[in-house]
Amino acid sequence: MSQNISEFAKRPKPDNYYSELVKKVGELNQKFRMFSNINQDISFGLPFSVKDNICVKDVESTASSKILSGYLPPFNATAVDRLSTDEFGFLGKTKMDEFGFGTFGINCPEHPLNPFDERYVAGGSSSGSAVATAILKHHVSIAESTGGSISSPSSFCGVVGFTPSYGTVSRYGLIDYANSLDKIGVMARSASDARYVFDKMKGSDNYDTTCVDHGVSSLNKKKLVIIDQLVNGIDSEILGSFDRTVSKFEGMDYSVEHKSIPFIEKAIPAYYIISMAEASTNLAKYTGFKYGLKVGDFSKPYNDFFTEARSSFGIETKRRVVLGTFVRSASVKSRYYEKALRLRAMLIATLNDVLKDAFIISPSMPIKVPKVEEAMEMDPVKAYKIDYLTIPPNLAGLPHVSFPSDYIGGMPVGTQLVTNHFNDYAILDAVAEWEKSFKYKFKYEVGAL
Amino acid sequence: MKIGLEVHVALPTRSKLFCSCSADAEEPNTAICPICLGFPGSKPMLNEDALKSALTVAKALHCKINPETYFLRKVYFYPDLPKSYQITQLDGAIGHDGYVDIGHKKIRIRRVQLEEDPAKIIREDEYSLLDFNRSGIPLNEIVTEPDIETEDELRLFFNELRSILYYAGVDINKEMKADLNISLSDVRVEIKNVTGIKNLVDAERFEVKRQTELISANQKIQKETRSYNAETISTVSSREKESDEEYGFIYEPDLAVYPTGNVQTPNVIIASEVAKELSVKYGFNQVALKELTMFDKKSLELVLHGIKGSKSGTVLNAIELLKRQGAITISEQNFDKMLSYLDKGLLLNDDAIKALQENREFSAERSTVKTEEIDREINEIVSQRPDLVKEYKSNSKAFNFIVGMVLKKHKVNPKYISERLAEILKDKA
Repeated sequence: MSQNISEFAKRPKPDNYYSELVKKVGELNQKFRMFSNINQDISFGLPFSVKDNICVKDVESTASSKILSGYLPPFNATAVDRLSTDEFGFLGKTKMDEFGFGTFGINCPEHPLNPFDERYVAGGSSSGSAVATAILKHHVSIAESTGGSISSPSSFCGVVGFTPSYGTVSRYGLIDYANSLDKIGVMARSASDARYVFDKMKGSDNYDTTCVDHGVSSLNKKKLVIIDQLVNGIDSEILGSFDRTVSKFEGMDYSVEHKSIPFIEKAIPAYYIISMAEASTNLAKYTGFKYGLKVGDFSKPYNDFFTEARSSFGIETKRRVVLGTFVRSASVKSRYYEKALRLRAMLIATLNDVLKDAFIISPSMPIKVPKVEEAMEMDPVKAYKIDYLTIPPNLAGLPHVSFPSDYIGGMPVGTQLVTNHFNDYAILDAVAEWEKSFKYKFKYEVGAL
Repeated sequence: MKIGLEVHVALPTRSKLFCSCSADAEEPNTAICPICLGFPGSKPMLNEDALKSALTVAKALHCKINPETYFLRKVYFYPDLPKSYQITQLDGAIGHDGYVDIGHKKIRIRRVQLEEDPAKIIREDEYSLLDFNRSGIPLNEIVTEPDIETEDELRLFFNELRSILYYAGVDINKEMKADLNISLSDVRVEIKNVTGIKNLVDAERFEVKRQTELISANQKIQKETRSYNAETISTVSSREKESDEEYGFIYEPDLAVYPTGNVQTPNVIIASEVAKELSVKYGFNQVALKELTMFDKKSLELVLHGIKGSKSGTVLNAIELLKRQGAITISEQNFDKMLSYLDKGLLLNDDAIKALQENREFSAERSTVKTEEIDREINEIVSQRPDLVKEYKSNSKAFNFIVGMVLKKHKVNPKYISERLAEILKDKA
């Protein structure tokens, strides 16, 4: 199942391998709309794609937002820089929910569609990265998760999505959503590929103060914890499938324990408060005159000038600016922002305790892959609540991985493993073990050698 | 009247606060990078020299130092602010609860914080230009309590603060901007961005007059922000609606929490405190010593060196002689030599002082003169020219003429001759 990336780079390929690959990707992009930009000049290495909120030097990087259209970063993100070796070749930028704001990948124009069936969503916000990974045989994607943006699309598109410990991979070059929550990670077709790329990207960086040189361990106590609150309200078919997955792990000598953490439900509001508060400050810089969309009319008063530029934000972005600005305003800050920070600290302590000698296991998403119209019609609060399985590890900065564990009605189902800080290898090893007895299905094998 | 100040000073670092761009480029928009332009994807990284420098200032202002310091985002929209938020401090500031001693009282310091400067706006008639060289320059904001109650105290405080900053290594020749909060009643008026002590005092005077007139006419003083116009010497309302300002502060999540305990900082000399101490211990003229040393490290070093062996008057006299030659440059060894001449009652002529400063040999016989010889010379002229003596009170020319006559024979400090002449004439009268 797993491929050896360094070996792939050296493997002899037909002369027209990359040109054919680019052609085929271009064709499929008409159908699934996963790339915002395809590098026609790729000529070596394992093709890798990059979520559009991660800067690639001189390549338009917009976080799928109109307000950043035309933005050519004058630098590479550190993660991208560290992959700029003979082993990897840059294939293109992948679409996403605008600035990472979404669970289904639909919050951008011409949004990506599910590679198993284009009537379904791809998941979000790293939608394009998951679709590309599900379509290309030899490829990895650099994605990013704030509250579940790797697990959600990985689960819906049937790929391995790994979100590392906060602080292991530099965020320099990431167009911020919520800085204290954003984590750059990997999507791949196997745990070993994800690990290989993670190893290349991780390590401290002078340009990101929050990135540290912490050793990463692989401590596996062969025990799984199921949090009661995280199997509540799950779609019955997903739950049935999850039970079978857990049984298979028991067959792999894992013990299983149930625990209750009642306040974990509060993680949803805490996450949305912190992420929106930070997002609303990050988005303040988009005033339309130094980079990206230029509104041009400098004769206007400054307030009118930037208001015009900011009217190009999408509806979900506007919603988060308004809510985020509200929760950090002086009169209510202690009730929302500061309380949410305390809850996060409490959650980290509680989860670390649970994770001392176990992984937390849950379905990645509580619902089956929704159709595009279903997702479009969902009201925002309901959509926010869909993230309740991916939010706890994200809010706590814990490493987690979503991997394909079943197929229901031809659509993939993902399971999520969470471990303690800096024990990232442990869950990747566990997924590698899983892959020995479970074969992932893909509808496309573009670029197969 | 109550006045509180928020003073902004640029810290003496080679690079900016959150990137490695030069902090003193001249050609506009040459010291810029994705970080200080706030480009999407860029992140700040703290310049530890700036932290150290801010800590040095906070300690010199007798502040309590937070064991851990951290940053906040202050959000507001203005064209000079690239990220539309300023990285600044508040609760987790470097220092808090300090003071500046202005002699008869202490002006309390509420907070000393580290923050980034916005870009510079250059306003032309038809348009404005932005220079981002200034964006990200490290600033110390020094916030006082409203303890200043008179114009005199305003001057004393500002001067004292400048002296402390000078000894802390801050370039005080760079413009120091202050926001002036002034209230005559219980309504606070803030005057933004006043540069330098002259403008501060002028703004204060104007505002006192304006507010006094309003009060005596039984009119209400608006709680507002005003700006100072140096050309018209007046303040004008900024016409900003003054509610409690809403900056939506959040923690800066791109930066860490920085421990301050292990940062080594130099001890900062407070010249006026030293002057006070020396006046008590060695009988220095406190005012003269303070004025001599407030903005002159070298003088203070020489004073501290010289007092070990000589009288305070001799030391001050020696430094004044050196200053007359322009900048003070002299080795401690030669300063000792100079003091020993003066202690022996010898006067040094300009050539001798220059030679000492330049570490050259000189002939003591030709270059020094006994003070008694000067006195004898003066007495001789005074007794020979009663006409001049009669006139000297009404005619300064007569006085200067005598000084000139003495100078012809002995090339020494004319100020000294004047002092002696005045003394001798006083005795004659």
